[in-house]
Amino acid sequence: MVGPEDAAACSRRNAKLLPAPAQEPADPDRKMIPATGGFGGSVGADRGCPAEAHAGGSEPRYQRPCGRLRLEGPGDQGAGGADSSSDWAAPLEDPLRSCCLAAADADVDADDDSGGSEDSERPTASPAGSVERELAVTPAGRTSGGAEPSLGFPDGHLNSRNTFEVSRRPTTGDHLPPAERPVPSPGMEPGPAGTSARARRGGGFADFFARNLFLKRTKELKSVVHSAPGWKLFGKVPPRENLQKTSKIIQQEYEARTGRTCKPPPQSSRRKNFEFEPLSTTALILEDRPSNLPAKSVEEALRHRQEYDEMVAEAKKREIKEAHKRKRIMKERFKQEESIASAMVIWINEILPNWEVMRSTRRVRELWWQGLPPSVRGKVWSLAVGNELNITPELYEIFLSRAKERWKSFSETSSDNDIEGISVADREASLELIKLDISRTFPSLYIFQKGGPYHDVLHSILGAYTCYRPDVGYVQGMSFIAAVLILNLEEADAFIAFANLLNKPCQLAFFRVDHTMMLKYFATFEVFFEENLSKLFLHFKSYSLTPDIYLIDWIFTLYSKSLPLDLACRVWDVFCRDGEEFLFRTGLGILRLYEDILLQMDFIHIAQFLTKLPEDITSEKLFSCIAAIQMQNSTKKWTQVFASVMKDIKEGDKNCSPALKS
Amino acid sequence: MEAIWLYQFRLIVIGDSTVGKSCLIRRFTEGRFAPVSDPTVGVDFFSRLVEIEPGKRIKLQIWDTAGQERFRSITRAYYRNSVGGLLLFDITNRRSFQNVHEWLEETKVHVQPYQIVFVLVGHKCDLDTQRQVTRHEAEKLAAAYGMKYIETSARDAINVEKAFTDLTRDIYELVKRGEITIQEGWEGVKSGFVPNVVHSSEEVVKSERRCLC
Repeated sequence: MVGPEDAAACSRRNAKLLPAPAQEPADPDRKMIPATGGFGGSVGADRGCPAEAHAGGSEPRYQRPCGRLRLEGPGDQGAGGADSSSDWAAPLEDPLRSCCLAAADADVDADDDSGGSEDSERPTASPAGSVERELAVTPAGRTSGGAEPSLGFPDGHLNSRNTFEVSRRPTTGDHLPPAERPVPSPGMEPGPAGTSARARRGGGFADFFARNLFLKRTKELKSVVHSAPGWKLFGKVPPRENLQKTSKIIQQEYEARTGRTCKPPPQSSRRKNFEFEPLSTTALILEDRPSNLPAKSVEEALRHRQEYDEMVAEAKKREIKEAHKRKRIMKERFKQEESIASAMVIWINEILPNWEVMRSTRRVRELWWQGLPPSVRGKVWSLAVGNELNITPELYEIFLSRAKERWKSFSETSSDNDIEGISVADREASLELIKLDISRTFPSLYIFQKGGPYHDVLHSILGAYTCYRPDVGYVQGMSFIAAVLILNLEEADAFIAFANLLNKPCQLAFFRVDHTMMLKYFATFEVFFEENLSKLFLHFKSYSLTPDIYLIDWIFTLYSKSLPLDLACRVWDVFCRDGEEFLFRTGLGILRLYEDILLQMDFIHIAQFLTKLPEDITSEKLFSCIAAIQMQNSTKKWTQVFASVMKDIKEGDKNCSPALKS
Repeated sequence: MEAIWLYQFRLIVIGDSTVGKSCLIRRFTEGRFAPVSDPTVGVDFFSRLVEIEPGKRIKLQIWDTAGQERFRSITRAYYRNSVGGLLLFDITNRRSFQNVHEWLEETKVHVQPYQIVFVLVGHKCDLDTQRQVTRHEAEKLAAAYGMKYIETSARDAINVEKAFTDLTRDIYELVKRGEITIQEGWEGVKSGFVPNVVHSSEEVVKSERRCLC
């Protein structure tokens, strides 16, 4: 399960959370809404529905949840006297009410809706029970829905569950009495319910991000999020429940018949787990057959009842098991957060004030290995990277204004670049490339895309860098490094760290594509590869699979493109502590982690695997594998091996071919 | 278990940055189009089986290279072990077309002593209104270098299959005629999981007969 933290931290994962419109089942109830009229063209029932075409949204995902929203809207207002809605909504009413009510249980439910793990802290309700509860409390929902403002925002709740767009907020708000609007900033709305609910409780978006990477800029982010049109941080495939009344009623009826009205504990929440969806349909087997078919025999009916009971029991068991698992994960997370909190205190109060003295002490190094608390991460990175280049914020401003001038003149003359010399064309190409690459940087986070809050910052830093270091220029992969820094540091500090980081020998070698140096790094890597993972080393050799195949991407982007973002940050933490050697050690750690799988693969599968690492890679596992990698070759350390490899290559490289061995 | 294939061809996809190399390959191998994808750093890898004749499958190993000039010195090292290549330009970006010469000159130098069968691909043909390169001049250029020319769109899935399968077929014909042969230490063409592995052109013919009966 992906918790909100993970969702924020993992770049590529977010993409997976976005709704896949095609998966949405055809929903007859929803389809009828546009037909009822009164909701006009703004009702985008679903993607692919003709209504969407008129909805005016160029991006289908803006429109998508509308259908749902509309569905919920009248249901909510119905309580406030929107009688006209009751006729069309009649078949939906009860489930809708229960949705509203469930939504009204804000704290309790929100996390459940997103599959949240906090649910585990409460006793688990039987699925049948929870369904029944919905129905049982429905009348209450009817009265309380409009009466109590605090409960009266199922709308927003459902929006957030349904991956709602920021840009949609004003529109959705229009349908609601202003009093019913939630206090928290709309900026949190795009998140899944779990996110928004948590944020609502714990102090908003800022709190949510504070635990991650966005720490430094949360306030800004909040405001920009508010105004930014049409980008979205997270999403989730909306659950398909709430329109299955028929089967639920059957279920209820059955339970009434059998007298098993197991009252759920009041604190239990609605189940929105996909796993239990089939249950509602399963209840259909309890029904009599349609009149045009032969009736069930008593035996058959009994058997069906028994089968049904078994299924329910099975589902209960499964749920209890899951609840236990969630509880365990929750506990672990809680423990982790506690240790992060205590580590933060130590970093702020003890280490940072005495940085130079303490940075290389054993205690600090050990604490460092555990991962830096996000709140001090940027600061520690800055200190560890240092500022050998003595760049000041003023200098950054100077280079930035130069970059801006160049962009201006570039856009004026861009149409005609045939006449100009190659070097100019190249530089302009790279200016243009920066523009194109910015929105391709962590695309699933959306914050670097045009209109996103960090688009311009990223543009500025990369532009200023190309003016500051025309000898290096812009190289693809840099945008990822700058982006990670931006997420943890203020603009000028991010630039200072960026320039200094790229000035390290290893980064300089790679970004200048200095073949000889790169080969040295690869050769040194191979020495430790053979030493640590000899079997895999031979396996790779047998396919002539050389390290450049996978290391180039890893080293160029410092793993920020290949690993989940939170994990990449942990790698950066220790990279700041140990230097370039740790980048290669991380590479070996990855190989070690997947050694068994890799040994079964052939060339193309290994290459594909390593250039597209599994998304479920966890920091515990990876870091234990990294820890197991020895960076001592007999008695030589990385730097010594590197130095000796240097000599070998000079002697062996007769033809001076820049080509990497392949 | 992997399906059985007759040969494995290594193809390389080259061309300027942002002409849509990765998108084209993704469309071909995964059947989907992502409007935004992160830039390729170094090389990415894809594979797919292609059936060129009933029962005759070729496994394609596709190397997706970074397009930025700076990476060329890295990616050109991969030419010599490829048997085929798709050279992409963006029909809405004149410069990417002008650079085609450069790409070809460079491959010529670095592919020796082997050869690569190239196809020139004018990509993003769905954006016809923004076209900066006419089909005619692209065809002329392709002909001058003895290449085929095809226009594709990953977004609208136009000619994507055709671009890859036509190239595969052309290479297969050359292999069949013995103009391209499997060589030790060369990764361009490998024979696949076929009983009685075939190497020479004659045997390929035999195996063809075997397949037919």
